Amino acid sequence: MEIDSEKSLCRALCAYNSMDEVFEIQKEMYRGQQYSHLYFARLHLMRTLLYSLVSQWKPHLPVCTVLGLEEGKECIIVGTLFKHMKLKPCILDEYSKERSKTPLVKPHNFMHPDDHLILEDESGRVKLSGDLISPSVYITGIVVAIHGKETGAGDFLVLDVLEAGLPPQIELPLKSREDKYVVFVSGLSVGSSNCNPLQFQLFIDHITGHLGDEKEQILASQIAHVVIAGNSVEFHREVLNGQNLAAKDLSRLSEPIKELDILLNQIAVGLPLDIMPGPRDPANYSLPQQPLHRCLFPGSSAYNTFRSCTNPHCFELDNIRFLGTSGQNIDDLDKYSDAKDKLEFMERTLRWRHLAPTAPNTLGCYPFTDRDPFFLESCPHVYFVGNQDKYETRVIKGSEGQLVRLICVPKFNETGVAVMLNLRDLECHALSFGTQFSS
Amino acid sequence: MNNGSRKRPPPPSQPLPANQPKSQAFSQEDEFVDEDVFLDETLISEDEESLILRDIEQRQALVSRIAKWIRPHLSSEYLSQSCSIFFQQLEIDYVIGESHKELLPNSSGAAAIIRIFGVTKEGHSVCCNVHGFEPYFYISCPPGMRPDDISGFHKILEGRMKESNRNSKVPQFVRRIEMVQRKSIMHYQQHNSQPFLKIVVALPTMVASCRGILDRGIQIDGLGMKSFMTYESNVLFALRFMIDCNIVGGNWIEVPAGKYKKTAKNLSYCQLEFDCLYSELISHAPEGDFSKMAPFRILSFDIECAGRKGHFPEPTHDPVIQIANLVTLQGEGQPFVRNVMTLKSCSPIVGTEVMSFDTEREVLLAWRDFIREVDPDIIIGYNICKFDLPYLIERADALKIAEFPILGRIRSSRVRVKDTTFSSRQLGTRESKEVTIEGRVQFDLLQAMQRDHKLSSYSLNSVSAHFLSEQKEDVHHSIISDLQNGNADTRRRLAVYCLKDAYLPQRLLDKLMFIYNYVEMARVTGVPISFLLSRGQSIKVLSQLLRKAKQKNLVIPNVKQAGSDQGTYEGATVLEARAGFYEKPIATLDFASLYPSIMMAYNLCYCSLVTPEDVRKLNLPPESVNKTPSGETFVKSNLQKGILPEILEELLAARRRAKADLKEAKDPLEKAVLDGRQLALKISANSVYGFTGATVGQLPCIEISSSVTSYGRQMIEHTKNLVEDKFTTLNGYENNAEVIYGDTDSVMVQFGVSSVEEAMKLGREAAEYISGTFTKPIKLEFEKIYYPFLLISKKRYAGLFWTKPDTFDKMDTKGIETVRRDNCLLVKNLVNDCLHKILIDRDIPGAVQHVKNAISDLLMNRMDLSLLVITKGLTKTGDDYEVKAAHVELAERMRKRDAATAPNVGDRVPYVIIKGAKGAKAYEKSEDPIYVLENNIPIDPQYYLENQISKPILRIFEPILKNASRELLHGSHTRSISISTPSNSGIMKFAKKQLTCIGCKALLSNGDHTLCSHCKGREAELYCKTVAQVSNLETLFGKLWTQCQECQGSLHQDVLCTSRDCPIFYRRKKAQKDMAEAKLQLDRWNF
Repeated sequence: MEIDSEKSLCRALCAYNSMDEVFEIQKEMYRGQQYSHLYFARLHLMRTLLYSLVSQWKPHLPVCTVLGLEEGKECIIVGTLFKHMKLKPCILDEYSKERSKTPLVKPHNFMHPDDHLILEDESGRVKLSGDLISPSVYITGIVVAIHGKETGAGDFLVLDVLEAGLPPQIELPLKSREDKYVVFVSGLSVGSSNCNPLQFQLFIDHITGHLGDEKEQILASQIAHVVIAGNSVEFHREVLNGQNLAAKDLSRLSEPIKELDILLNQIAVGLPLDIMPGPRDPANYSLPQQPLHRCLFPGSSAYNTFRSCTNPHCFELDNIRFLGTSGQNIDDLDKYSDAKDKLEFMERTLRWRHLAPTAPNTLGCYPFTDRDPFFLESCPHVYFVGNQDKYETRVIKGSEGQLVRLICVPKFNETGVAVMLNLRDLECHALSFGTQFSS
Repeated sequence: MNNGSRKRPPPPSQPLPANQPKSQAFSQEDEFVDEDVFLDETLISEDEESLILRDIEQRQALVSRIAKWIRPHLSSEYLSQSCSIFFQQLEIDYVIGESHKELLPNSSGAAAIIRIFGVTKEGHSVCCNVHGFEPYFYISCPPGMRPDDISGFHKILEGRMKESNRNSKVPQFVRRIEMVQRKSIMHYQQHNSQPFLKIVVALPTMVASCRGILDRGIQIDGLGMKSFMTYESNVLFALRFMIDCNIVGGNWIEVPAGKYKKTAKNLSYCQLEFDCLYSELISHAPEGDFSKMAPFRILSFDIECAGRKGHFPEPTHDPVIQIANLVTLQGEGQPFVRNVMTLKSCSPIVGTEVMSFDTEREVLLAWRDFIREVDPDIIIGYNICKFDLPYLIERADALKIAEFPILGRIRSSRVRVKDTTFSSRQLGTRESKEVTIEGRVQFDLLQAMQRDHKLSSYSLNSVSAHFLSEQKEDVHHSIISDLQNGNADTRRRLAVYCLKDAYLPQRLLDKLMFIYNYVEMARVTGVPISFLLSRGQSIKVLSQLLRKAKQKNLVIPNVKQAGSDQGTYEGATVLEARAGFYEKPIATLDFASLYPSIMMAYNLCYCSLVTPEDVRKLNLPPESVNKTPSGETFVKSNLQKGILPEILEELLAARRRAKADLKEAKDPLEKAVLDGRQLALKISANSVYGFTGATVGQLPCIEISSSVTSYGRQMIEHTKNLVEDKFTTLNGYENNAEVIYGDTDSVMVQFGVSSVEEAMKLGREAAEYISGTFTKPIKLEFEKIYYPFLLISKKRYAGLFWTKPDTFDKMDTKGIETVRRDNCLLVKNLVNDCLHKILIDRDIPGAVQHVKNAISDLLMNRMDLSLLVITKGLTKTGDDYEVKAAHVELAERMRKRDAATAPNVGDRVPYVIIKGAKGAKAYEKSEDPIYVLENNIPIDPQYYLENQISKPILRIFEPILKNASRELLHGSHTRSISISTPSNSGIMKFAKKQLTCIGCKALLSNGDHTLCSHCKGREAELYCKTVAQVSNLETLFGKLWTQCQECQGSLHQDVLCTSRDCPIFYRRKKAQKDMAEAKLQLDRWNF
């Protein structure tokens, strides 16, 4: 310890309240259920909500089901959208006879001008037409209310669209005068080829107050919480697929995890740490991802400051509500729809009141039977998404005065950037770490 | 056998297998026998008709619903009969009725009336009754018979006819006998013509009976007992009419104003119905405006029946519950009618009219009314001829709805169903039902598919996956009843499914342009469209031959069916294949339309053939005859131009024209017509040779067919010699050319150059040089390069196909297991992947590794089960099979387990081969894949290795690898084997389940439930392994089940599909089961 004992600094503290329960799947089992239940639960939840909004939105219009449509009559239907996509990759292609000749589409986006939207409820589906609803914005799995009329061709001409909008928000606690910080980091990718151990060590030393002058140490002491939003290690699950590995190879595979444990240990000693699983971590694949197992972290899990959390992850710090994912939900939207930046995707998920609308369609998801954990009942104050290409942030406002801080947390191993959020005013800034070697 | 040539029977005809029932031999002949239909017999009495009409009144509401789809109203010109009527005919048949008093004042009694059904360009339906055309045939006039003797002969013949047709009430059988000058088509004759007798009979069926009498012999005064060779006595009456009036299938016909009379009483539902004389018809050749298609109405439909558990639906028991209909106007993209008729209520479907009825009777009658009002010209569907249509009719019969089967265009004439056996050398024997719907062409897409495309499965699902790349939800017939017995929403679900089944045939029809191709084929060959699907190839050639012969004043003898073993001759040459993997470009030189060209070049025809006797007698100058390599003599065209060469010349010239027009054409519809035409012309030209070689055909002539093949052989040899002589280093070329393989009409040459471009240049040079040495129009063409090229053996090869020097076009394979239906998918994929790796990636070690990995996966029990499923059709029950077969045995066993879901006759049975007791026969080891999945039954990897994979794989690798068998099938990768423990075997019932350590499988003592004490230290890595498995399964689970949701077209309903043709069906099941197990394993870590 190099801290001067006379001016000993105190670590800022926060009241922490985990709200991950909704994302846990402990009792639930695979009993041959399919995904239809999840869609049904979602439709049911959202419809109750939308019906209550419709009475204010367009009270004069009748509300119909897809079955009850009559040609030419204007009405409102509430249903799940399905986007028919020409280029969507399909598992059946593995079996098509000309497997070799499939045209290579650009892998990051599967949009096509011929894509169209279909609205479905339990009674049936109808194709949507008109310019008001753009297939490039909307996506399979969201529930909306649509004002329109059936045309002669059997299409439903869209005249207006109503989304659920931002959910209600608990009141932001009175502003404290203290500066307290939460640090977000993601994509550490320990053990990957481009991982720079020194960079991560710098980060640890900085937040634990082992670096810099007094000013920096004071700043470090104000960090009350660290969130690691996924992809902490590089874990090659493909290698493990079905092959029998020699014990030696197996233990080599788990070496990066040991390294991560040692590094996390250094953080957990000093301050509370939430670690979320990401798409590349040794965790299950479908959302919600379950917490990384404690046996992976024999060292750090000994501290009560170390919390292994679900992805998505929801918690409160000093009554400020946080919600975040390791990035899968937003990355999937990016593949199947279009927006000017990632923050816009984030905003959409809030307005659609659904954290991961593309699950289960294109995003792996547990087949829930009676609930939809991704439905947003209340609005977070801070909404973060990990493993993005660059750091971005913005505050959005809801119609009922909701304020939400949106944060894209970049991949640390590529950018060397972590994000600091001040709990006092929800202001945000980036922390950059770099190393340079001169030969 | 030297030089790879071999003896074989004439190519297209195969002797009937010995165990075939005798009746089949007759069916060949049946094909050309007329069946008279008497108008009055099938007519329903006036009372009955009024009863039906009353019935209609009661359901006026329905009628008004249907009425909005009726055809456009007639214009005043049509109504006043002041304009000529132009229409495209689609169907021609005839009935027996009273001869028309006004048009034919001189004749009386029963006569054949030709009916032509068609559509005008405005979309009006037409029924044209043609009068005055009489059936006839020829016999050669016995020498010494003078015109005066004819009336005596007439009397004798009439007497004999009366004797053999005692039941018939016709006043006069033989109308008249005329002496005419004709010439037989057979053999070269120096004289121009001879007297023939044209015998005109009263009704078409009398042709056959009269022929029989003359065949057997007839006593003639002064000449004694004499039997006669008949000529053109086997021509169907409708075809006879078309030939004599110059009408070809699907062309436009004009009936000039004033030449037709509106019928006094409408007998049909057509808008325009009139009588006219056959001599007044004007037939237009399909050119210019007359090549277009009328806007005919195409109905695509599908029915659903509620079967009982464990039985395939039978019309005597099981109701018809839904009928979905789509009607499309020819040339339009979208159907203008979509509806579904359901038994019991059904929730609405967007864009579709749902008509629900309380009784089955109402459903059926509604459909009948719908057919009558919409009045489709063509009825299409999938397997409608064998299933849907007969089912509806038999069901109506079972329900005693006598007024149902009035589906044709003839007012109150019932639809007739009869069993037919259609046998063709090309397509084998097919049992079928023939449903006669007068005036409407039936086009069963299943038949068309079986005829035109070689596929591994003909289920609608796999056909649409193949051509439309769309999977179709498949609802098992045992579920259909459950859906029907549910509520309006479950019935709606069924209706959506039914509609899709009705829509797919229409889409296939559009996509494959069947209408264009078949109409063009009918136009080119001159047969009615309905013949194309229901009859073989030979009638098409016969039709052309008859047309041509008529122009030339020739008559065609009706040769008695010769025995099938008469005369075999040497078939086409196949040069010995020098098997190997060629990494230099191989140029392929093809003879363009070889057989037709040979027939043209050497004037091979019935009428140019000189009998050996005549060769000696006639003393023809050697410069005007060709002696063929097989020893026959034909005169050259200066003495007698052959008819077949002339037909071929016209066909090929027409094809060149069509191709040239195709290049010019811009309108997509016009292009479709022209492309259909050039294809039809090509097929027709090629079928002429087969016609002459068909020993059970209409006019076989082995002399012609054996001469054709002998010339073909000579040319292949000649080409080989020329190439190898000319392209040598001695003549200044870089390398010596080598012919590595030659098939019927192509020769493959390795010029030794290494660039594709050079090989192309040399290929072109060789083609030009060699073509110069042949008689015109035989021409050798350079078409393509194979590079690299894997030649396995005769008729088996694979290579990359190049037609331009910069990139290859595709991978081309012949005779390799990529499409055989009785192989499992694993073989197909493995062969494909290997070829891909070898030919495209040029990575032989990679291909070897790929095979090894697959074999290792198989032995280690890691193979996806759906890849191992073998499927066979169950055509009859177990007792009827003589040899025990795996799928039949399995069907029996499954029936014992659960009769409701067991496969029935007609179903396809999927199975896998499982590990059985030692020495168990393969057929005992078959098992239902689902059962295997559910019970963890181990499959038999050795069976798959030895009986499925090894042969096709070795075939590919033998030319490439030295010790292919040892390397691939017996290497170290085959050493480790893993077998799953079945959960239902006898011994397992006594086993006590105890937890084992996840790390080392050691039994766990009471306290632990994840790892043993030794493995505790490896927790992290072992957990990683478990979780990796879970996450891989989750990925798969998600992809599979969302794909099925996508296919079924609904997010909120459970997936019901049980399509075993679908490649992911078993994987989906397995993923569900594996997932549950893996999750349990993972949960063990939660301590």
